[in-house]
Amino acid sequence: MLIGNLFDFYSQLKKEGIIYCFCGPFSQSVMEGVGATLRLKLDLEDMDLNISQKVFAIFVEQVQNIINYSAERIPPQGVDDCEISLGAFIVGQEDKNFYLLCGNMVKNEDVPGLKDRLGQLRGLDREQLKALYRERRKMDPAKGSKGAGLGFIDMARKAGKPLDYVFTPLDGELTFFSLKVHI
Amino acid sequence: MEALNIARTKSSPEIVFDPEKNVLSIRGESYPENAAAFYTQVFAWLEKYLLEPASGAGVVNVELTYFNSSSSKVFMNFFSRLDKASREGKAITVNWRYHPENESALECGQEFQEDMENLSFQLVALE
Repeated sequence: MLIGNLFDFYSQLKKEGIIYCFCGPFSQSVMEGVGATLRLKLDLEDMDLNISQKVFAIFVEQVQNIINYSAERIPPQGVDDCEISLGAFIVGQEDKNFYLLCGNMVKNEDVPGLKDRLGQLRGLDREQLKALYRERRKMDPAKGSKGAGLGFIDMARKAGKPLDYVFTPLDGELTFFSLKVHI
Repeated sequence: MEALNIARTKSSPEIVFDPEKNVLSIRGESYPENAAAFYTQVFAWLEKYLLEPASGAGVVNVELTYFNSSSSKVFMNFFSRLDKASREGKAITVNWRYHPENESALECGQEFQEDMENLSFQLVALE
């Protein structure tokens, strides 16, 4: 980027109500650091505790999804190193309502499964989401899942609107997956 | 019974067993990188504890202000194990301690409580 363009970029983010924008390598320690600062910022705004908790909870689920599932990753170099995953993350406000947007590369073969899971959630109301969450929580996690397979359901339960998502195909191997959660 | 003493970190709770009081306390927040791996040590401790007669009157105090979805799964397994032990005759009590202004902590406690069949799972509002 040209030095003269940084201010334009910064102004554009401000204009769009973006509080945090992070693009690049993610790890658990980055998440813990950014998360602590994000909380501090939300506390300073004297926000309703329940809203700031939702923002933080969705932040954690989204960033851990990037860490666990991004198809762009750097394996650990030493025994004490953690794996680094690439992705993008934004927290912003639209008409005073918070949203969290995250994106990362996924393998093309994983796209149909993701579309199915997210599509299913869009059709469920609050009670159905709660029932699904509790049912899944008692089951063993799906094969290939590094978490509990509950992240999307948890986000859908905390969101004020159905989850928005876009899949942008890139080539024969990768697709960029974007997920937007409105509080 | 051996004590258990796991210090709190930014993303994991303090977990302490006091053998004199026969109380296990879990306090803080839980969103470690790999929740299943992190809590393996606690499940190993629990299995040993359940072999002890003292566990027949055990108390577990849980005060979690936030936990992520993979920790939620781990806690479900943890409470289910205690529920099974209760079904087998142990009078174990879980006190789910929450601050009344933290709606999410109360709801989470209620959802665990509804899934327990035998375990005494109490919701305790803190001052």
